[in-house]
Amino acid sequence: MMSNVIISTNKLCKTFSNGGLQQHVLKNLDIEIYEGDFTVIMGSSGAGKSTLLYALSGMDKPTLGSIQFLDKNIELLSNDKLAVFRRLNCGFIFQQMFLLDNMSILDNILASGLLMSKNRKILTERAKELFIQVGLDENMWRKFPAQLSGGEAQRAAIVRALINQPKVVFADEPTGALNSAAGKAALDVLTGINNKGQNIIMVTHDLKSARRGNRILYMRDGVIQGICSLGKYVSGDRERHDKLQAFLSEMGW
Amino acid sequence: MKWGGNVNKISMLAFANIRKSKGHSVSLLIMFFIAGLLFNAGLLVLISFGGFFEKTIEELNTSSIYYVMPSNYYNMEIEEFIANNSNTLEMQKEESLWAQGIIEYRDDTRKSVFLINDADKTREMSKWKYIGEHLAPDDMSIYLPSIFHEDGGYQLNDKFEVLFGDERFSFTIKGFIEDIYFCSFELGLMGVYLPHDTYENISGKLGDTNKATVIFANLKEINKDIESHIKELTNLETLSSSSDIVNTLLSFDLSIVRLSRVMMASMVAMMIVAFAAIIVLVCLIVVRFRIGNSIEDDMTKIGSLKAMGYTSRQIILSIVLQFVLIAFAGSIIGISISYLATPMLSDVFAQQSGLKWEQGFDGRISSITLITILIFVILTAFITARRINKLHPIVALRGGIITHSFRKNHMPLNTSKGSLIIILAFKSLFQNMKQSVMIMVIIIGVTFAGTFAVIMFYNTTIDIKAFAETPGIELSNASIILRTDTDNSKLIHDIKNMNHVNKVQFIDETMVKMNNIEVRFFIMEDYSEKITNTIYEGRYPHHSNEIAIAGYLADVINKGIGESVTLKIGHSSGEFIITGLTQGAYMGGVNASMTYTGILRLNPDFKQISLQIYLNDKTNTTQFVAEIENLSSDSILSVVNIDKTMELGTGAYTSIVSKVGIGILIVTISIVMLVLYFVINSSVTRRKRELGIQKAIGFTTFQLMNQLSIGFLPPIIAGVGIGGIAGITQTNKIMSVVQRAMGIMKANYIIKPLWIVLLGITIIIISYITSMIITYRIRKISAYELISE
Repeated sequence: MMSNVIISTNKLCKTFSNGGLQQHVLKNLDIEIYEGDFTVIMGSSGAGKSTLLYALSGMDKPTLGSIQFLDKNIELLSNDKLAVFRRLNCGFIFQQMFLLDNMSILDNILASGLLMSKNRKILTERAKELFIQVGLDENMWRKFPAQLSGGEAQRAAIVRALINQPKVVFADEPTGALNSAAGKAALDVLTGINNKGQNIIMVTHDLKSARRGNRILYMRDGVIQGICSLGKYVSGDRERHDKLQAFLSEMGW
Repeated sequence: MKWGGNVNKISMLAFANIRKSKGHSVSLLIMFFIAGLLFNAGLLVLISFGGFFEKTIEELNTSSIYYVMPSNYYNMEIEEFIANNSNTLEMQKEESLWAQGIIEYRDDTRKSVFLINDADKTREMSKWKYIGEHLAPDDMSIYLPSIFHEDGGYQLNDKFEVLFGDERFSFTIKGFIEDIYFCSFELGLMGVYLPHDTYENISGKLGDTNKATVIFANLKEINKDIESHIKELTNLETLSSSSDIVNTLLSFDLSIVRLSRVMMASMVAMMIVAFAAIIVLVCLIVVRFRIGNSIEDDMTKIGSLKAMGYTSRQIILSIVLQFVLIAFAGSIIGISISYLATPMLSDVFAQQSGLKWEQGFDGRISSITLITILIFVILTAFITARRINKLHPIVALRGGIITHSFRKNHMPLNTSKGSLIIILAFKSLFQNMKQSVMIMVIIIGVTFAGTFAVIMFYNTTIDIKAFAETPGIELSNASIILRTDTDNSKLIHDIKNMNHVNKVQFIDETMVKMNNIEVRFFIMEDYSEKITNTIYEGRYPHHSNEIAIAGYLADVINKGIGESVTLKIGHSSGEFIITGLTQGAYMGGVNASMTYTGILRLNPDFKQISLQIYLNDKTNTTQFVAEIENLSSDSILSVVNIDKTMELGTGAYTSIVSKVGIGILIVTISIVMLVLYFVINSSVTRRKRELGIQKAIGFTTFQLMNQLSIGFLPPIIAGVGIGGIAGITQTNKIMSVVQRAMGIMKANYIIKPLWIVLLGITIIIISYITSMIITYRIRKISAYELISE
């Protein structure tokens, strides 16, 4: 039985102008994202993965086509309405973390949380729970981003993405700037929250990261070249791994 | 060759930097333009206008003293006394006419004593000259002081009608002239010139009582000795101005004329130069801020340049050159435009000086302005940019040493109460303390200038009491000069009992010698009845052996409260104790006050003649004066409408100062807006990534605009507060220093805190709106773009 569609696109196009040259990055994309999925967008460099992620999240507007996110056509929303929409429905995890350098880690989380709720006490409690969930101890909360390691900062960024209990977490190469141990830890967190029902869309070009998804969209030159559906991630599941490997080989990865 | 190559490289870098930051370069250029304009205009007025006045004095061989008296009092004894006096260098005598006349002036009537001269008489001293075109005379021609053209709006060939007594004379204006003494209304005597035939005609009609003998002389040392002797010989009363020309000796000297003509221009010039200095300081702070920011923003570029082989000196020079070029261009435009502004200032000053100041290009003053500004810019730029010396290329290529301050997490979000946006704004404020202090310092400066301007505007436009009190004379509504040879008691009694009269009292004036200086004394029975309080230290005299003297005079004779002085009238003398210090520009600050019983000690025959009349509120003084004139009492020598005299007298001052005040206000607001543009624009550029992150996680553009704008408000509010308080507490002190030479020892301008509060609120609101407008550009940038940049 198919899950509910939470995001769908219709002839989604994104074109960038560069010195008078038109660069068509997304070309007539018709895709669907389902409830409960850990969707992974893979592809070679310049395929349009991040552009698609930011279009789906309402961070950037498409040139043509439409995006239905829950019950809203988000391409029609103004920038400010999109901001409010993102605050209600989206959490973001970036490769460079993009924490606010001039605030403590806890403040980084609360700056996002206080946009949604005025109850500082409840928010702080929720942040603490999430910190524990991602494995950050209390000493870290008072620190500034520059005082944390990359892995710790990324886990803090995950907490920030989750503080408002978003419908979808968008992750752009979340392990790209981390060493393998820190990367694995971050992926474990994402897998854990997905298992609890959190929708995740993640862009990656890393096989280890891609394995965590249950639905893989492979992009090339602005179009979806293939889709691979897998079961939920289970560590050491060889068959699942082989299926993904075969799919990627077929895509020419 | 090598030097030429260096210059090329440096200028190439400098121009590239200017091109890169066009917006900032243009706003800095505007600020230097304002600084150059004000600085040059101020210096032109301060140096050149004063110089122009002195040059005109020299050109017209203007005498150092001037006496005008009724011809029937003049005799050979006087002439011989002056000619043979050891203090006299040269003298000349001329027969003229004088008469009190009523004329039409700027849609109103104006009363003045006219000194009517024969234009065809030749003079060696105190000459006059035509200003602009003049026409051949015909029947009833007249040459008028140029103020009638510049301020009064009269043109060549216009009719000029004067009512002398009951007879109306109609002249045709054939030219405008300029002399030093009698070409403005300031001294109460207006000099006009008639062709010989017309002069003879008028002389015949006015009769012998209007004949005046005019003496101009150059003295080795300007003092009152000759004047005193003339007075003794003639028994004439000496006044510097009077409507009673029958038994008056009018006496003027160049220092009093100079004071009354150029003092206001000097004061205005000092205000403009002081304000320009504040603007230059603001420009330097902005240069420092801009260089500091650009070093941080272009850290990697500096690293690459160093790696390519550019020396630190070359990079520093390119930065210095960048700002020198902007300052040079802005100042040159400002200096050029200042020459367009001087005719406007000239017109305003002409109302007081009566002289048409024509300012051509002055290379010396312009160079002083330009070089002063450039030297300060070079010093500031060098001092700020020298940190590049210590920057290692590798460190710079890596974006410099990023120093994070982990000292304190100000206002943690989990415990701080209030709006998220306001808390974030305050966090940002604490994190950018240097920038906040810079904004505060700038706002203190401009608010102080703005407060000063508001105070000047209020005192010149809304309530001119303080300005009206500048001369230090009593501000009754009208005064009557009584005859000394009649019984005046009935008239005084009748006036006292008139409906609109609140009170009457005598305040007379007489000359008394104090330490060999002729001092004008106010004489009054009871000083507690005075409504214009000129005492700024001590008290008015109560007893017959007490006097109060002007602060300026106290400085001159080096005496203070509690000390005694010897006063002399003729052969009579007496010791008097100084009980208080007064202020006032009257007689150039050489004035004093004593009681009626005090003057009787020196002159038992002293007669009170100057009756001051205080009317009830809402009484029309002009109507009242007409009523008094219609009494046709034998006791009345003349009636003066003090209200009207003060209105006309203060008109020129208030017009000048209110215009300068409005100018300062406009510039203040412009500077606030330009500085905010600088700071906020830089801030948005530097914080693009941070703003992008905030936008990504759901902050709206309006929230971010507010966060940035509110972050600038605390230093602005603090600056407005400190600047406003400084303005309120210091303006009178500053004006006391500026006006000291005018005899104002303790300025007492009315300061309305509500007006200053309104100014402060205006600056804060304008700052907030400006910030919101500047930060509005965030709207156009998507979160994705902000982050990806």
